[in-house]
Amino acid sequence: MSTETGRVGEWSLFGHSLRRVVLYSILVGMGVFYLIPIETGIMTSIINPASYTGSFPYLPPLEPLVPGTGTLSLEPWQGAIDGLGQGLVNSVILVVPATIFSGLLGSMAAFGLTTISWRGQIGIYILFVAGIFIPYQAVLVPLTQFWYNVVPLQAVFAPLATLPFVQEYHWKLVALIITHTAYGLPICTLLFRAHYKKLSDEMVEAAQLDGASVSTIYRRIILPLSIPMFAVVFIYQFTQIWNDLLFALTIVQFGDAAVVTQDLVGIGVSQSGTNFPLRMAAALLAALPTLLVYIFFGDKFAKGVAA
Amino acid sequence: MAELTLDGVTKVFTEDDGNEIVAVDDVSVDIEDGEFLVLVGPSGCGKSTTLRMVAGLETVTDGEISLAGRRINESPPAERDIAMVFQSYALYPHMTVAQNMSFGLEESTELDDDEISELVDDTAAMMGIEELVDRKPADLSGGQQQRVALGRAIVRDPEAFLMDEPLSNLDAKLRATMRTELQRLQEDLGVTTIYVTHDQTEAMTMGDRIAILDDGVLQQVGTPLECYHTPNNRFVAGFIGDPSMNFFEMEVDGERLVSDRFTYPLTADQADAVGEARGVTLGIRPEDIGIDPDGNADSPHEFDMHVDVVEPRGDENTIHLTFEAGLDEPETFTATVSGLRQLQAGDSVVATFPPEAIHLFDADTEQALHNRSLDIPEATEQIV
Repeated sequence: MSTETGRVGEWSLFGHSLRRVVLYSILVGMGVFYLIPIETGIMTSIINPASYTGSFPYLPPLEPLVPGTGTLSLEPWQGAIDGLGQGLVNSVILVVPATIFSGLLGSMAAFGLTTISWRGQIGIYILFVAGIFIPYQAVLVPLTQFWYNVVPLQAVFAPLATLPFVQEYHWKLVALIITHTAYGLPICTLLFRAHYKKLSDEMVEAAQLDGASVSTIYRRIILPLSIPMFAVVFIYQFTQIWNDLLFALTIVQFGDAAVVTQDLVGIGVSQSGTNFPLRMAAALLAALPTLLVYIFFGDKFAKGVAA
Repeated sequence: MAELTLDGVTKVFTEDDGNEIVAVDDVSVDIEDGEFLVLVGPSGCGKSTTLRMVAGLETVTDGEISLAGRRINESPPAERDIAMVFQSYALYPHMTVAQNMSFGLEESTELDDDEISELVDDTAAMMGIEELVDRKPADLSGGQQQRVALGRAIVRDPEAFLMDEPLSNLDAKLRATMRTELQRLQEDLGVTTIYVTHDQTEAMTMGDRIAILDDGVLQQVGTPLECYHTPNNRFVAGFIGDPSMNFFEMEVDGERLVSDRFTYPLTADQADAVGEARGVTLGIRPEDIGIDPDGNADSPHEFDMHVDVVEPRGDENTIHLTFEAGLDEPETFTATVSGLRQLQAGDSVVATFPPEAIHLFDADTEQALHNRSLDIPEATEQIV
């Protein structure tokens, strides 16, 4: 029955109450359940594709020591880096400016629509909110028309291609940056607006009386107080734009400007069959930047959500 | 430092449904150079709106505001050279105390960094916050934040200070200390100041003059004692003074005032002042009512009363009196007597309403018809 450590009437096992033992078993079980797919992915990505068939994908590749596990090989990762390299570079060129622009412009728009009052701002704000609800599918055809037929971006961009590191096909990435900035603007504005509504009106009035202009109030008061919200918006926008495939397919279509999600679709697929280790390595590689962003900005994100 | 003039200032807010609300109605006050004017009134009376119009945070619907003889209606807040202290202090949370204080100087003057930091240091020393200059507002107590807010206003050396209930977030003890300190500071600096409060104690103790506002309309402007002893109307009489003045609704009957409780004879002067009015309100301050536990009501100004409740305050007792004993919820009025006097609930006493201490207000217009006479203060003391 009871021991000195447990409560009266509680079962115990080696001095630990049975209740705790059961609790930890369930927690460990759930942890394993969630981590198995990732573990399987990692293990698969370091198996020699030739020895993959017939092996257990979740076991570390230990052949020929342990049969049925496959041979260790970094060939899939090598292949993933080769196959996705260009796409990764293009994605970074796209995501970093698009994230910064949508965050900054969203913050400025929210400041103008919340902290400063002027006639007609509610109407403009409603347009912003409506922008959130425009489905992607509805704008795909107009977007293609816009960038390929209406705006001569390709022609305007051509002279810039002589600059170092700039390629002619980069014009498609510029189009994609502008598209993502515009499409992310409403949600960024909404997030910042919620934050700015909580800031004290009297503080802004005090700054006005202190002689600060509207732009100074934004730069010296509002912007420094927005940092936690910028972490939230940047993480959100980074993940959204990095993972996007639809706009990339519509605007980039194919060619040198393809981003990582586009490259990922076709990698490791051929008529001779699917190269699973290569696909796994590529998928992990493509997911790595978003993972890093969460790891490095996660604490600021939590602070911003709580703010 | 300059004189500030409000001439017929009016603010009308238009609600979304088109309703117009008059928040401030034709307010005219002249505030002299270096004067400390307290704008007092109940919440929603338009005092904060008036202050915000002076600051430039609200537009002026009608009338004119001028500072040092210059019309400032249309100037943006930044160009008015006015500093304001807010009820919430409104400090910039991401800046240190020193940065909070230098922000206004950086934005509104051409001073270089050294001059600014010297000014900030001097002001911080004057406010006794020199130890705190590197801290952020979140690390300060309420009283310290309030000093920083004051320091931020002072360091700019503006033409005028506006203060919007700056002491209302402090505890009672600190509020009393800061009241004195603010007065001394304003006297030393000699900056024209408008101070908004709903607290009549602050108004009485701090102001050179007080302006009493009710429902957007200016009721009276005067020194604290003028407003206390010679109120323009019943609102001012009731608002200034704690506990409030007692009011009795009376009918005029020749040279007497009559109600169903008691009859009060008027002097010839008072009867003249009443003139043709049919109904008047008789007002008397609690401290003017004489209380005698042993006497008999033989004079026509003396009445038999019952003590309903005694509230001891130490220095004085507030006594709630009623004409009839034994009622569950009697109509009471208050008298204050010395804290050393022993009175119990249920006691029968004789209360004296000295004729020189009464105020008479027209029952319809609520305007003062007659105020207490001030030339014989000894008489009231003898009765108490």
